[in-house]
Amino acid sequence: MEFIWRVNYFSALRVESLEGEFIVFQREAGKTHFLNEIGLKILSILDQSPATLDSLCRELSEYFTLPPDTHFSAQINRTLQRYEALGLVSRVKENA
Amino acid sequence: MTDFRADHHRLLLEAIIQPTSLTGYSNPQWELLLRLARRVKLLGYLAARLEKEELLDRIPVRAANLLRSALIQARKQQQSVGWELNRVMWALDDPDLPIIVLKGMAYLLQDLPNAAGRIFADLDLLVPKESLARIEASLLKKGWQHHALTDYDERYYREWSHEIPALVHPERGVEVDVHHTLSSPLGKLNIDPLLFREAAVKAKDTAVYVLSPEDMVLHCAVNLFQNNELADDLRHLLDFNEMLLFFSDQQPDFQQKLIGRANQLGLGNPLFYSLYFSRVLLRSPISVHLEKQLDQQPGWIARRAMHHCVPLALLPQHPDHPSRKTKCARVWLYWRSHWLRMPLYRLLPHLAYKFYLSVFPGKAKTSKQK
Amino acid sequence: MIVGQLSRDTFRALLVGSGLRVKAGPFNLSIRTRLPYLADQLHRMYAHYALMDEAEIAEFHVQVISKRSIRRPFAQLIQFEVDGRSPFPPVPAEQALATLEWGINLAIAMRINHLLLFHSAAVERNGHVLLLPAWPGSGKTTLCTALIHRGYRLFSDEFGLMDPQSGNFFPLPRLMPLKNQSIKVIRDYLPEAVLGPEIPGTLKGTVAHVRPPQESIERSDESAKARWIVFPKWSANASLQLEPLPQSEAFLLLASNAVNYEVLGETAFDAVTSLVRNCECRKLVYSGFDSALAALDELTDD
Repeated sequence: MEFIWRVNYFSALRVESLEGEFIVFQREAGKTHFLNEIGLKILSILDQSPATLDSLCRELSEYFTLPPDTHFSAQINRTLQRYEALGLVSRVKENA
Repeated sequence: MTDFRADHHRLLLEAIIQPTSLTGYSNPQWELLLRLARRVKLLGYLAARLEKEELLDRIPVRAANLLRSALIQARKQQQSVGWELNRVMWALDDPDLPIIVLKGMAYLLQDLPNAAGRIFADLDLLVPKESLARIEASLLKKGWQHHALTDYDERYYREWSHEIPALVHPERGVEVDVHHTLSSPLGKLNIDPLLFREAAVKAKDTAVYVLSPEDMVLHCAVNLFQNNELADDLRHLLDFNEMLLFFSDQQPDFQQKLIGRANQLGLGNPLFYSLYFSRVLLRSPISVHLEKQLDQQPGWIARRAMHHCVPLALLPQHPDHPSRKTKCARVWLYWRSHWLRMPLYRLLPHLAYKFYLSVFPGKAKTSKQK
Repeated sequence: MIVGQLSRDTFRALLVGSGLRVKAGPFNLSIRTRLPYLADQLHRMYAHYALMDEAEIAEFHVQVISKRSIRRPFAQLIQFEVDGRSPFPPVPAEQALATLEWGINLAIAMRINHLLLFHSAAVERNGHVLLLPAWPGSGKTTLCTALIHRGYRLFSDEFGLMDPQSGNFFPLPRLMPLKNQSIKVIRDYLPEAVLGPEIPGTLKGTVAHVRPPQESIERSDESAKARWIVFPKWSANASLQLEPLPQSEAFLLLASNAVNYEVLGETAFDAVTSLVRNCECRKLVYSGFDSALAALDELTDD
């Protein structure tokens, strides 16, 4: 089944840039996360509008001018699942 | 009425009953008070009250620093447990499963006056017995783990106590206790959890439930006088008293409903003691006639013994001058709580085993080594 | 009045009676013990500490008591207590001083949240603090000992105490436990350092404490802001390297070994962010003190 991913309370995230890397404070959880540029871009894309894995990957590869391939998509999928366990994103069923 | 109590007890009780009086405390009084309040885990409670009255800047700065430190810690714990609840609900992913949040987290969800600055580290949930296995499995699958338990403890939990062993997510470290009943299934007090579950109410702004106001107050009383050993447990009496007064304020017939519910559930004894000691120790303005309406009341011998022993246990020892009398009272109450929770044929081997472990701590056999 | 001005008998009487009340940086300690050898060790090692103002509040009440064990009825054991509670199991009597010092550190780490507590050595030069955060066993205490005998003022070898609002660091000069080989290294390199007894068999091996210099203790009310963050690593025969450290890495290292970073939440996030932005962040690999001190001197020169 395809899921649509959305970000939880992006406005409650504190994002600071330190020389090109990003530290993110998740207020609700009280946790600090260390993200690279792609990691943060995933969150900001999903904040603009919830997306499926495929459309998220398309947008990312356009932005970073990376060739879209299955390896990249698997990596993004793993990142999303990790974000989900951390409570940064959640999934909704496509037709919901 | 308070003549049998030591000076340090009066110092602490006065601070709790009348936090605004704290601006008049001398430094030596503060020093002792801070140590006593820490011992009974009430630093956060005092800090929250002083902050609310905007008095933290009007007390000695060293005292204010320690109180602020405790308040920061309490708030962090509250946030951690609240977030743990969020993660548990995500892991269970079942909107139809009725989850009832108990104790500290429930007070926080309902924004009760006793929640401010309250220190608690665990998330306590009440669920239907038949869902227990499924809940345990869902949480284990999403990364929660059981504490490393000895075989003995594991059996104690599953068979004799009323919980499955605590679950902890290693990235967050908050203990999740999933209960299916509110007292030991082997104990003398048989509480049907179904009655509590049926009366549960939706918590403010969430998908979870909390006990109804009467049941929440009764559960607090049961924990205090049935499940706990009472040592340094003053904060639970405070919970009881503050909730009782808060709900009485909200609903004029609350106290009558509470008595009725206690009679219905056969919980007269713990409610009797909670009302009695709230009045004796916290000067609670509850009518003396209230507990007379309980069907079940402790006999006069038990009452006299409890009258002398309970304050010695609930209130902290003087940190530099511990008294022998207090130790005896606490040992007696320790036996009492176990006696209420387990029949003698289980209790004696249990306590013997615990003593053996206290002498030979390395001897416990662990079934799951981390 | 400082401890060194008290006669040994008066000093012992305080420890046995109402408690020795001394000032340790921003905190006041009350210490009690009946152990005569511990009293004598403290009399020498605490000589420069000021007695606290009697009218003030002491935040920490600690005690070292002798203890019997059912399992080891003939062993001489002692136990550390803070407010009547024992965070550690009993240990052999000769470890009393080390246990007392660790116990006090633990109590500070457990109770203090109005300040951010970095697990870090901190020294001051030219009015600014040099933070030396590092993992246990990386040699920060040893390097810190060398620095404070070569012109740096000791803040602490264990805690960087920072006010998260103002960014000020507070000195907390306490005894510094050298471990194992470091003891001989310091004896050879700094014959002038005052060391306590060698205590064998602790959880961290043999320990000997360095007494903080008198000036560090006398000036322990003078706070300062941090300007340099250096992560030191001792490595045998390595040639000296003092290299820039990315801010994000400095943030990660500082935050993940700060004692109460998580407890302070967003306050700590803000404080550490501005700390790493306002400091020069370096990592240092060294094998000898001379070159390491020269490099740090150059970094901290005005």
